[in-house]
Amino acid sequence: MMSTRFSAKANALSRQRHTVLWLAAGPALFALALLVWPVARLLWQGLWGEPLAGLPLDDTGPWWLDGHLQWRVGWTLVQALLTCVLCLVLGLPMAWVLARLEFKGRMAWQRALMLPFVVPTLVAALGILALWGPRGVLGAPLAQAGWTLEGSPWLLLLGNLFFNLSLVVRAGMDGLAQVSAQRVAVARTLGATPWRAFWRVEWPVIAPWLASALCLVFLYCFTGFGLALVLGGQRWATVEVEIYTLIAHELALAQAASLAVAMLALTGGMAWAYAWVERSLASPARITPVPRRPVRGLAIWSGWALALGAWLLLCGAPLLALLLQAAQAVGFGQGWEVLREDDTWRAVGNTLRFSALALALATALGVLHALAGQAMRRWAPAALAWRASAYAPLVVSPVALAFGLLLLYPQWLASWPLLVAAYALLAYPFVAKALTAALDALPDQYAQAAASLGAGPVRVLWRVTLPLVAPALRRGMAFAAATMLGEFAVSLLLSRPEWLTLSTLIYQRLGRPGSANLDAALVLSAGLMALALLAFWLIEGRGEPRRVPHQD
Amino acid sequence: MLELRHITHHWLGPQGQRQTLLQDVNLCIEAGQTVALLGASGSGKSTLLKIVAGLETPESGSVWLDGQDISDWPPEKRRLALMFQDFALFPHLSLQDNVAFGLVEQGLGRAAARGQAQALLQRFGLEGRGVERVDTLSGGEQQRVALARALITQPRALLLDEPFSALDAELRVSLREEFARHIAEHGMRALLVTHDETEARAMASAAWRLQGGSLVSLW
Repeated sequence: MMSTRFSAKANALSRQRHTVLWLAAGPALFALALLVWPVARLLWQGLWGEPLAGLPLDDTGPWWLDGHLQWRVGWTLVQALLTCVLCLVLGLPMAWVLARLEFKGRMAWQRALMLPFVVPTLVAALGILALWGPRGVLGAPLAQAGWTLEGSPWLLLLGNLFFNLSLVVRAGMDGLAQVSAQRVAVARTLGATPWRAFWRVEWPVIAPWLASALCLVFLYCFTGFGLALVLGGQRWATVEVEIYTLIAHELALAQAASLAVAMLALTGGMAWAYAWVERSLASPARITPVPRRPVRGLAIWSGWALALGAWLLLCGAPLLALLLQAAQAVGFGQGWEVLREDDTWRAVGNTLRFSALALALATALGVLHALAGQAMRRWAPAALAWRASAYAPLVVSPVALAFGLLLLYPQWLASWPLLVAAYALLAYPFVAKALTAALDALPDQYAQAAASLGAGPVRVLWRVTLPLVAPALRRGMAFAAATMLGEFAVSLLLSRPEWLTLSTLIYQRLGRPGSANLDAALVLSAGLMALALLAFWLIEGRGEPRRVPHQD
Repeated sequence: MLELRHITHHWLGPQGQRQTLLQDVNLCIEAGQTVALLGASGSGKSTLLKIVAGLETPESGSVWLDGQDISDWPPEKRRLALMFQDFALFPHLSLQDNVAFGLVEQGLGRAAARGQAQALLQRFGLEGRGVERVDTLSGGEQQRVALARALITQPRALLLDEPFSALDAELRVSLREEFARHIAEHGMRALLVTHDETEARAMASAAWRLQGGSLVSLW
């Protein structure tokens, strides 16, 4: 009897192991071929590699002996840290206003926080130029007053703020929602002023949420490519742009590889810090959050107006300026001509085709990844490592990744499947993350009830689990689609002329002289933004915006 | 004497309609006296407690303490310590730092505050555990720490919001006796909000029921 029970248990465990293996095999092999191996190849090239055949002798030294590259690395660090500080200083008051005050339009503002996660990098860069550039809505009058942002680091910092401020605001709101109203009340009755109660009781709760978001902000700014390429110019570009320049224009592969290795080490360290902080964010026991109160009193009114005004200026106005200048380009300039060009419609077709293919692949990988994570819950350390691995594509710089793919699969460079696979690699974490969270929140009883009614595991998945997590799946797919439609860094390195996408076409137009090309870039950017928002809206449907990381 | 004079307060219902929560409420608590406030869920007991603590402002009426109108005083100036059913201990602080919290707010140095906290913890049967995290404690121990935290600042009154309802029945009985003893030792006046009449009888010398926004005397 006993041995029968043991053998039944052993069989069940063995079946579970097989399930895990089958589910995990696809995403694991894919990540191995498209991420781990290319990055390992890049590391090898950077540390021990011989000069590559067919290229001129690369006699440049390592980056740390080159003053110019030292400055690039230093500036890349400084701009990422500066962005973190600015995001914290500006984002925390905004989060407080949204979490603690009740006012008309609060939900609309909260939903608008999602915008930067959907807007493609190049569109954001063009938006910053349309607002703050020398011909910008605010930039032009400022230039007339003798104060120009062109050639200064501010354009890049404003671009960084556009993308990352909302991330910190959302994290701050999540943190503030975890503050117990009763603990604050007790602190007040024990003699703490509102300010002291904030620092002694609320801040320790919010701080890990903010630290987690700031790790991501640092990573995004440190590995950012598109914004730095367009807004940084010659002087204020970052290491990613330098690596791209070394590879694409100077063929200094050894130096590029050594720089990429340094970047990988730093981003790896920061990603580890992020994972460490994220572990402490498990939702605590049930608490009563601090209730929202109406906007009353001069100080509260001023704070509300300042917070909303600053967010509109930094995150809303660039997009409005872009739309305004695109409309002007169509109405008064030569912008409409770009809509009659074959290249434009070829780029639209390619963008849609590659994104649709990659979305299908990313969805399959994301679903498998999330299901495998659920199936291995019994083995806690393995499950944790597996879940963390979903973030890996988001923390490896796209330029380093594309460079690794170039080195590893030179024979596939002429084939579009590599490009589609790289897109899917960058997008599937969004699907995996959203679905994992939804599966975690799903009570086991649903599946158990279905099983007791005669449904096998596949039928349970199809008839019960997937319908219940469908909104989360759609949300993940919507973020994935928006990411792919605007993907730029990998497209620029892996794409061929006949695979022109909207992002690469916008960049081409920006690189050409004359106002007609700038008008064309503005019109294309407005079109790409509309396309990304439309795809997001169509796929996601109705739903609350969630905290989701974005990728350059 | 802690005194509530003509307190009236409304709240907005789900459809935005105004509903009376407290209507011309008057109440007195003498020094050293514990008064219980009973009532059904949603009757306004906890709101009344928050009005006394200064965490909510009534639409009309005033709160007096030892002959002074304290209605406009912020909570930190009133020195009325509040205790909740879920203890509301600060999870990022150790036991001793939780207990020392109010002393630090009064301007005492951290080391001196910790010394006093350790001494009080000893009297509450938690000696040698000052550096532990609060999540290592049982429910009863957590509520003892919450009482020690409230008493250490020598508040002018203790406001107890269903302090034992999260505990099991046996522990509830032993802890309310212990609490009543500590409150008497400190000569403290207390306002106890509860829905449990047995608990009210065990701890309070006077009790009122909050019904339809008004107070009805029970004993």
